[in-house]
Amino acid sequence: MPQLLKKIFLVDLFQGLWVTFRNQNPKRIYTEQYPAQRPAVAERFRGAPRLNLNPETGETLCMACNMCALACPENLIVVTSQRNEQTKKKELVTFTFDTSRCMFCGLCEEACPTDALELSQDFELATYTREGQIWDRKMLEEGPKPTRYKC
Amino acid sequence: MADEKPAPPKPAPPKAAPPPKPPAVMAATPWEDNLTRELTDRFGDGACEFRTYLGQNFILVKPDMVVGLIEYLKMGAGFDYLVDITAVDWPERAERFDLVYILYSFSRNARVRIKTQIAEGQRAASVVPVHPTANWLEREVFDMFGIGFTGHPDLRRILMPDEWQGHPLRKDYSILGQDQRWVEENLGVESGQ
Amino acid sequence: MPETTFLDSTELVLNMGPQHPSTHGVLRVILKLDGEKVMGTDCVIGYLHRGVEKIAEARTYTQFNPYVDRLDYVAAVSNGLGYCLAVEKLLNTEAPPRAQVVRVILTELNRIASHLLWLGTHALDIGAVTPVFYCFREREEILKIFEKYCGARLTTHAFRIGGLQYETYDGFEDEVKAFCDMFPPKVDEYEELLTQNRIWVKRLKDVGILNAEDCKRYGVTGPVLRAAGVDWDLRKAQPYSGYEKYDFLIPTRQNGDTYDRYMIRMEEMRQATRIIRQAVEGIPDGPIMAKVPKVIKPPVGEAYVSIEAPKGELGYYIVSDGSTQPYRVRVRPPSFVNLQALDRMVRGALIADVVAVIGTLDIVLGEVDR
Repeated sequence: MPQLLKKIFLVDLFQGLWVTFRNQNPKRIYTEQYPAQRPAVAERFRGAPRLNLNPETGETLCMACNMCALACPENLIVVTSQRNEQTKKKELVTFTFDTSRCMFCGLCEEACPTDALELSQDFELATYTREGQIWDRKMLEEGPKPTRYKC
Repeated sequence: MADEKPAPPKPAPPKAAPPPKPPAVMAATPWEDNLTRELTDRFGDGACEFRTYLGQNFILVKPDMVVGLIEYLKMGAGFDYLVDITAVDWPERAERFDLVYILYSFSRNARVRIKTQIAEGQRAASVVPVHPTANWLEREVFDMFGIGFTGHPDLRRILMPDEWQGHPLRKDYSILGQDQRWVEENLGVESGQ
Repeated sequence: MPETTFLDSTELVLNMGPQHPSTHGVLRVILKLDGEKVMGTDCVIGYLHRGVEKIAEARTYTQFNPYVDRLDYVAAVSNGLGYCLAVEKLLNTEAPPRAQVVRVILTELNRIASHLLWLGTHALDIGAVTPVFYCFREREEILKIFEKYCGARLTTHAFRIGGLQYETYDGFEDEVKAFCDMFPPKVDEYEELLTQNRIWVKRLKDVGILNAEDCKRYGVTGPVLRAAGVDWDLRKAQPYSGYEKYDFLIPTRQNGDTYDRYMIRMEEMRQATRIIRQAVEGIPDGPIMAKVPKVIKPPVGEAYVSIEAPKGELGYYIVSDGSTQPYRVRVRPPSFVNLQALDRMVRGALIADVVAVIGTLDIVLGEVDR
């Protein structure tokens, strides 16, 4: 008899509906209002690549050892360098990184011996052209500057 | 004692090229236990070679013995689950493909590999009558390597399009290789790369 | 010969095309129908074939590690675990104990994440639109932990050959413990929504029955096999990465229908929480990386290593020729082998049941096609 009553009065369906109504409470809203609210990205997030500069001298930390290019599974880093006659060391000339094919796996970041190349927390990497996705040294040092919208 | 002048040094004979190193082979050791004895009794001496490497046992047989061996292992030895069928391409060998079957037994909790060598153009016997799970697995081996299977109910390409020419996982198929004609006909572009 | 007219009711061939909201990816199923009853199916796959096995032959072992995440993209950490275990087997090393425990924690979190996505999309296909939001809300918590640990949410690249790359971050244990406390009431919430619901039961009971005999014949593993009554889980049968130390149950049921698979995956989520709680209690100190050389060159040989991925038995068969690049990497995908059983499971069922069965097999096309 109780089973029949439960069946007629749709008890199991109301049980599920009650769960849904419970979650309508404004305290349980989970949506982030992007782009007004930007997400808190973790420190280790593998985002856009950056070439770091020495904070005191402003020179690049990269020593053009080419380890990142060798480590990359997609072979999308091209590093050119020239030899400085005075200090007899290699100096970086150009550094090309193709973000359109990048997997953001982090192997280049792990290979870099000087902390020059790192994957920063930028995730807004959209461009209007395919060529805009191939970053040169200037773009890598400054980073992408996504448009900020006023909301 | 004659005070002989030491003979002028003769020009050294040209050094013979060092003998080519034999290609390294897997350091497998012979495997013997109850199962191997059972199989030797059933199939005769010398029909199967039993090896083990890193704790994983495998059996090397001739291609015509494979279906009989798998059937015996399923009915008589409890290896009722065919895990995988795959192939490896060794183009320098005469029998270039290594066809590998991996079986598992629930009752023994043990795995065994069966390996045979297939030449180009030679067709292997299908194990679908014994294990229905071999249906798609053999279709994939056919698609990727071009090894035909006799007795397969529905042998056609599975991952590549049906009209594709070429077998991608062979070593002579370059990693940028494609069926140009198919790409032009069906995708309208010159190259898929 | 009688001429067939337009209104003739013989077999109809209907294409459930690659672009379909319920086929969980680009899966094409050609249905032969008699009215609405399915007489036979033919699955056409290969729309997501990316040639991962061919790529492996042109990359070194460490370079191939990120590609492996993209196979079963829903549960990327398991794929990485399987690959790292296979290469470690070839190198005859083992990860240190601390790395093994952290690996278990991340893999079980990954199992919960995969089952949550399964539950959300399966319910969505059947018509229950609510659970998907709640499942994704919990999945978000797990993905936040992954992001804080290794830097990416979905294609994690969390493990390296020989151990781990990253140390656990400050607060890792606290966050994982908080998740373990927060999660079981949520599973109860999903059960409240679905388990007793008459619509759910009607849609799922006695649909897509696959008994134990057929499971073994078709090589089906994972929750589908356990729903048929076979008590087999690779974590208990052939433990890897320290699973023998943890105390957990393997849920099995008897009928082998879709409802049983649903109950098993819900119970697996609870058991996974249990494993995580045990693992996070005692993470040993020590190194996180074994002594592997910088350039990985395993000796000539081959190995097959398989793990219990959320979808079934995921195996890696790696053949090495002594160089830095693998000679052949074969991925044995659980979804590929499970999908073969689709034909057997939907004979005589309705089209709506085909959708339910594809959902319950829990296939991910990235794995099926590689």
